[in-house]
Amino acid sequence: MIDLIQNTIDGVMIGSSYGLLALGFTLIFGVMRRLDLAYGPSIMIGAYFGTVLYLYYGAGPLAVASAVVLGAVIAGIYVERLCFAPMKAGAAIASMVSSFAIWMQLEQAAILFLPRHTYPFPPLATTAPFELGPFLVRVDHLIMLVCALALAAVVHIALYRTRFGLALRAIIGNPVAAHLVGINVRAAVLLAFAVASAVGGAAGFLVLAVDQQVTPMFGMWATLKGLIAMMIGGLGSVPGAVIGGLLLGIVEANSQWYFGPQIRDLVAYVVLFAFLVVRPQGFLGCEPELAMSPRA
Amino acid sequence: MMTIAGLLHPRRGSIRLAGNQLVGLSPARIVAHGIALVPENRLVFPQMSVRENLLAGAYQRKDKVGIDADLERMYARFPRLNERNEQLAGTLSGGEQQMLAVARALMSRPRVLLMDEPSLGLAPLIVAEIFNIIRELNRDGTTIFLVEQNAHMALQVAHCFLLMEQGRITFRGMPGQLAEDEVIQRAYLGTRRATG
Amino acid sequence: MDDYLIGVLSNIGVISFVALSAYLLLLTGEISFGQQAFFAIGAYAAGIATALWGWSLAAALVWGAAVSGAAALLVGVPTLRLHGLYFAIATLAFAEMVRILFELFRYQISIDGELTGPNGTDGFRNIRYIFDHNIDAFQFLLLIYSLLAAAVLGFMLLERSRLGVVFRMIGQDETLAELQGIPVARRRVLAAVIAGTLAGIGGGLYAHLTTYVEPRTFDIMLGVHSLAYGLIGGLGTALGPLLGVLIDIGLLESIRALAGYRMIIFGGLVALLLIVRPRGLLDEMVVHKIGWGWQRVSLWVRRSSLKSTGKSA
Repeated sequence: MIDLIQNTIDGVMIGSSYGLLALGFTLIFGVMRRLDLAYGPSIMIGAYFGTVLYLYYGAGPLAVASAVVLGAVIAGIYVERLCFAPMKAGAAIASMVSSFAIWMQLEQAAILFLPRHTYPFPPLATTAPFELGPFLVRVDHLIMLVCALALAAVVHIALYRTRFGLALRAIIGNPVAAHLVGINVRAAVLLAFAVASAVGGAAGFLVLAVDQQVTPMFGMWATLKGLIAMMIGGLGSVPGAVIGGLLLGIVEANSQWYFGPQIRDLVAYVVLFAFLVVRPQGFLGCEPELAMSPRA
Repeated sequence: MMTIAGLLHPRRGSIRLAGNQLVGLSPARIVAHGIALVPENRLVFPQMSVRENLLAGAYQRKDKVGIDADLERMYARFPRLNERNEQLAGTLSGGEQQMLAVARALMSRPRVLLMDEPSLGLAPLIVAEIFNIIRELNRDGTTIFLVEQNAHMALQVAHCFLLMEQGRITFRGMPGQLAEDEVIQRAYLGTRRATG
Repeated sequence: MDDYLIGVLSNIGVISFVALSAYLLLLTGEISFGQQAFFAIGAYAAGIATALWGWSLAAALVWGAAVSGAAALLVGVPTLRLHGLYFAIATLAFAEMVRILFELFRYQISIDGELTGPNGTDGFRNIRYIFDHNIDAFQFLLLIYSLLAAAVLGFMLLERSRLGVVFRMIGQDETLAELQGIPVARRRVLAAVIAGTLAGIGGGLYAHLTTYVEPRTFDIMLGVHSLAYGLIGGLGTALGPLLGVLIDIGLLESIRALAGYRMIIFGGLVALLLIVRPRGLLDEMVVHKIGWGWQRVSLWVRRSSLKSTGKSA
């Protein structure tokens, strides 16, 4: 029982980052109705910016975090301009395959510049973990949780209380009508991409700082985690993304503890598949009709 | 209508408002020129409340005081929207969504209000209500460009009209210049061609 | 023909099966990231049949195809209600589940004193059928391409058949198709099974070509690649995905010199290509024009041959 709760605590912590990844993903999907397969890799580009700053200039966590976010945003804008903006309606698959091609491009570019298998990342905290009754809580995990939840809250507020947020929700609700009320949809979408990349960058920094390293596998890893958490929590929902992330974290942590890393991944996919078959809109998502179709 | 609003691009020809060429402008810029479209099928923002839909209509405006005043004006003119203020637009009835779409378009204080088939899919009572609103709006000073299949209702509110047969304008004039039956006949059945 | 070229062509041939598999589903309007699962199942099943059970290659290939087809049926039914992104992610989840299951799968028999068989992440070695039976590389290449040609022929026939029209109708508008009396659910399952079987045949051939399969090969990369081949080569014809495979693997082999930059260049080119040709090189328009051009040429040929043989009364 103690193990279960300990795992759940750990799972919630890491799950908060999954939630942020899912958040970025769902923002992009919401406004574009298309899947960005280069999402994780663009975060990885940011991560490599960050590690260079850390490795060669000894920068502190805040500076590294900023570099990661900046790098992710630049890469994200690059992806948007190349894979999404020029595509006409009805070319959803083309956008997706294009983002896949850029995924490969970004991954190879990263490996080219930084060919080693692993690069260091500054830690979030150096204090020892503290005890909460029979449970152990890592300080860096706690920082990650707090930052992630704070960031999610900021995004939520931005969506519901700013003019830009209104524009995004309008585009998500009905893209044609958004044009008709005078929203500059192209600019708003670009900005949404930038915000989503920034959020992803922050999530990436948190995860990598806890791990204290970044590897070339990170790109695909981030895409997958974000995707799974997004689908479980429900497309197009900010609180859904967070819930999906937390749930994924909890399930993973417990599966790994009891059954090992392979079963952990297996269980994640089984849960995802089960959700899709039984309740595609996840916990809080909108109705399945909103999903991307090849004609979108 | 979608072409005027800038969502579609014409292959030929030009669209002008007060001398300004509108072809090639983005939809947002066309709204800035003072055109607002109430689209076919309403197209409300389903997950946003009535109030948020109206605020979206005023997206390009920066004068908060004016926007709030207009919001009140809309609630006064469309009491049903006032009742359903916080309700999600997707849950409104067809007629209510139509009113919402009209009110949303009006929030931008347009010079010209475009209305695309407002009677489509609505019960006759609601259609009558909508056309009353159209008449009122026009009387209160809004220029309205209406595309309608319901020739009978349209001719009752129009100051002048164009008759389109098979994609071509075949008549331009005032209601009364052409008998209503003839308008309906030509619009739906086409002009009889003289046989050789 | 030297061994290297035979190797590359064999590779292209085998991968084409997965590309065609994803393409078929695309015709019915669905995106699948998971066809590599059936490729894997076909590979393992056929490999086990020859290496562990002593079956003939033909029987093994049929067995591999059957097992993948059955797996496709198993997955096709629960995912019937899903469309678009949901369907795509479900296929991805399924494929990853299959991959991980193969990482855990152990089935070893002692053959001639040696332990043979799938061994989890270590993979499945010694699928030595074609060596044990003295089939040389060129003969195997011919086998691959005859089967591939049969598959492409099947597609061509499909395009002209009622079933092909039905598939495209479902792809365009499922509700409308349903209203026309088409049993959409059954047809979609049929498409899934055919696609799975295709990938399974390819898998069986792959296992015997490389004599060694490991779960790592059948990852998401392969899945998204299969989809991408159709998008690059063109969605207007079954030859489109083949063209895509040819371009990718052909380029992969020929730009050896720029190996480190290959993906950077290729990735960028693909993205640019898709901007101007969102449905690939041989998209529906091009195929239509080629067909029209071909008609005019054959008409011209017929007219001139009539002239030269003298007009009939």
